[in-house]
Amino acid sequence: MRVPKGKLSLDVTDMNNFLYDMTRCIKCKGCYWVDHIYMPGIRFSTRCPSMTWKQWDSYGAPGKMRIGVALAEGKIGFTDTLLEILYACTLCGACDVGCKRNLDLEIELALESLRIRAVKEGFGPLPAHKKVAENIMNRHNHFGAPNENRRKWITKDIKVEDKADTLYFVGCSSSFVTTEIALSTARLLNGLNVPFTLLDDEWCCGNVLYSVGMFPEAKAIAERNVEAVRKKGVKSVVVSCAEGYRMWKVDYPKMLNIKTEELGFEVRHILEVLEEALKEGKLSLRRPQEVRFTYHDACSVSRLCDPWSPWNGERGWMGTVSPPLKRRRGQAGLYFQARNLLKGIPKATFVEMPRTRENAFCCGAGRGTKVAFPEFSSFSAANRIEEVMEVGAEVLVTACPWCKENFKESLKGKETGIKVLDITEFVLSSLES
Amino acid sequence: MAIKKEAKRAIEAIVGKDYITDDPVICEGYRAGPGGYECGLGYERVMTRVPGAVCMPRTTEEVQLIVKVCNRYDVPYVPYSTGFYGPRSHCHMEDELLIDLKRMNHFEIDERHFFIVVGPGVIYSPIQQECFNKGAYVVIGGGGAQASAIANLIGDGWSPLSHRIGLPHRRILGTELVLPDGELVKMGSLAVSDDPFWGEGIGPDLRGLLRGYTGLRGCLGIVTKMAIKTLPFQPEPLVPTGISPTTALELPQNRIKWLNYQLPSKEAQVKAMYEIAKAEIAGAVTKVPLFWRAIAKAESKEEFWELWGKENEDTIRNFHLIRVLLIGYTSEEQMKYDEAILNDIMQELGGVPRRTRPTDESWLKNADSAGMWLMCGSYVSVDYVIESLSQATVHGEYYAELKRGYTPPLMPDYGDPGWFQSFELGHQGYSEFLIYWDQDEDTDPVDHFYVETSKMNIRERFYTALLGPHQPLYLTGPKYGPNYHEWLLKIKEAFDPKWVCHPPVPLAHDAFVDRAPWMKPIKDWEAPETLPVPEKRRR
Repeated sequence: MRVPKGKLSLDVTDMNNFLYDMTRCIKCKGCYWVDHIYMPGIRFSTRCPSMTWKQWDSYGAPGKMRIGVALAEGKIGFTDTLLEILYACTLCGACDVGCKRNLDLEIELALESLRIRAVKEGFGPLPAHKKVAENIMNRHNHFGAPNENRRKWITKDIKVEDKADTLYFVGCSSSFVTTEIALSTARLLNGLNVPFTLLDDEWCCGNVLYSVGMFPEAKAIAERNVEAVRKKGVKSVVVSCAEGYRMWKVDYPKMLNIKTEELGFEVRHILEVLEEALKEGKLSLRRPQEVRFTYHDACSVSRLCDPWSPWNGERGWMGTVSPPLKRRRGQAGLYFQARNLLKGIPKATFVEMPRTRENAFCCGAGRGTKVAFPEFSSFSAANRIEEVMEVGAEVLVTACPWCKENFKESLKGKETGIKVLDITEFVLSSLES
Repeated sequence: MAIKKEAKRAIEAIVGKDYITDDPVICEGYRAGPGGYECGLGYERVMTRVPGAVCMPRTTEEVQLIVKVCNRYDVPYVPYSTGFYGPRSHCHMEDELLIDLKRMNHFEIDERHFFIVVGPGVIYSPIQQECFNKGAYVVIGGGGAQASAIANLIGDGWSPLSHRIGLPHRRILGTELVLPDGELVKMGSLAVSDDPFWGEGIGPDLRGLLRGYTGLRGCLGIVTKMAIKTLPFQPEPLVPTGISPTTALELPQNRIKWLNYQLPSKEAQVKAMYEIAKAEIAGAVTKVPLFWRAIAKAESKEEFWELWGKENEDTIRNFHLIRVLLIGYTSEEQMKYDEAILNDIMQELGGVPRRTRPTDESWLKNADSAGMWLMCGSYVSVDYVIESLSQATVHGEYYAELKRGYTPPLMPDYGDPGWFQSFELGHQGYSEFLIYWDQDEDTDPVDHFYVETSKMNIRERFYTALLGPHQPLYLTGPKYGPNYHEWLLKIKEAFDPKWVCHPPVPLAHDAFVDRAPWMKPIKDWEAPETLPVPEKRRR
């Protein structure tokens, strides 16, 4: 297939914007294997959960790019298998950073555009996704719970302001399920004397809607949420959910066709706030934790969270583009912030897993995967847990409630002795009082 | 498109239902192109097909049984390990079975006797790391971190680290090969025991069935297990640093380091390589194309072209940089001694030290980077030559001259003569010529150039690697032999009378020339009107 030169943009609603990227995949499989520099050896050598799960090339980015081209050429249509290939994927970004090690192709955006195309043509999303989508659109939360119960996690000791410079966007999981994360986050903010407020009527961030390709619905939520925050007049939005962080920082600006900095407020994950406080001496981690622990880089606070900038331009000779395009290569991930923070905990022994940072193996829960493919999500979590066991860690720390829940579920009934904690819980328990 | 139902059922009984599929969408994922090594060219467009089915065996026994089923039901098949090596390792027939070997990922390392044993699903970078962990290193050729070690060694095997042990077949030890009819051949000492230490066995050396100068692209069976020679390394850990895409191994400078020198002339460059080899120092001695340096410096495709645009014929002509990897194999003292020798050599030859990073980005665990595709999007190494050090450089210059007539569509490289380095401690010089193009342009001249290189090699009497199935057999066979094509076809006939194993290789390039109308004007060699391939394997 020859891709015409000329105008293009990073608009994910048009798959044709990524045809060049799809046609230039060379099957080197840098997307599937861990970066050769960090390659730990024969064990734990892959980073693509989907292809590790099913093993067919077609479940990895090389296959998906070829399938995308065939779709564009009309050689194949959407089938159940094709939908499984598209959706049994956590869009974790491992393939994207792997490809950008050498080829600089826009794999993640191409995958997003394929899902949007599936929805546009009436084939996607999958029934399990539709159920969550209904929950989000009708009840404004992932679980279909009464949305007025969102603040039930708040205990008497938590101080929430009506007005403040900081807004804590709690997210569905921590509002309804992993409420311990919301509590830890709020207590930490209170403890640091960071006054925070909440949205009067918080709605789901729309992660699943965007991730499964329901672009107009997700965009409507983005508009509503951004407007609600702007009305609050805050300077920064703090999130404790990795998926929420990515939505606010990357996908909202992407859908709204603006730069991240044009949101009008700063988006920060709580771990950034904590690390900054630690650096400034405002956070004192003094309670020893005699434990051997490791950290799982949740995809959305690592390789997926480079800020967004819209880009329109032209592709010309040898595939070069103009004006210059600053590619998002996963380098803005909160890799060091998390480690700086965790390494400050006295007596706790931090050990890295063989696959770390941009090479981390996704837990398998994100981007709507778990509801549609629970077996795949369990496989992915179990694969990561093996790594935790390999390094002899007793505690697995992560910075995403969806990761935490998926890992916990994977450990259920197994006598591993491994405890899964959110980074806020771990930090909170390391404070003196 | 699908393979015969009976064959599919039989294979399903062998591998299990989860490991065979004829689902058109899954099969589409195994298409050769449109991107990749040698992809986007006529050969890929004309010769390759989407598989009719794909299966993933786990053991040698399963491979044998699958191959026997293919013979019984007359189903053509192609072995496939990682799929990186472009269209020539993909299906060429309708309703063909692709045997994906990635589940055959057995690995063991023998630290005392310095070898490893791998299956075809095991790739280079994990092997290298396992070897490092045990004080050894392995020399596996270009193809990159993610290419199958076995496929690499039987297809190619020339490596940046070949300064000490260059010839690929010297690194291939005991090996198992499933012949096209399913019979198992054990080569080397594996033929008589479970010990694969020896590549040579009792009787004739059957490694010739796997490769000659280069490989036969899977048309004479499937290698399911191979022992590969490793070499002693230094003991210090190489620490990974950086965040992708700027990752590198930090080299402990007391035991391993890269050093760059600019030499005053090509003659001095070659002389330096000879002297380094004569002194038996270093782990790699290489001269890279100047544009590789631009790739290494550039942060994007656009920046590459900005940097490259500043070069010209003169800067290329005067680029005599040599990169030397020093390794203190035995001690820090040895390292110091080697460095002192290197300095002496360079001083004598007028070599000027150039800035060198204390890291390794892509040579020790990668061999050849997928970054080759960054600047144009399409790439193939059009030839390799093993010669004496002084003569190997000549080859690249001839190529560069021929290339002028095909630029564009080939990338402008101002006469760069390619990659050149020392092999087998200077007993050999290695030259590789690489071409790049944009596959969205008219690529017919690239197809022409590829074949014209063979004619040039014949004319200039260069003995080159890419003969056999890489070029029209009837073009090169009568000129290099004068009958090697006949022997190759006899061997094919003897081992694969049904041409069931990856047809129509080794006549695939001949078939391409016959089928592609734009190749007609350059076909000036004699060939049978109908290629000697069974009729049902002609399309």
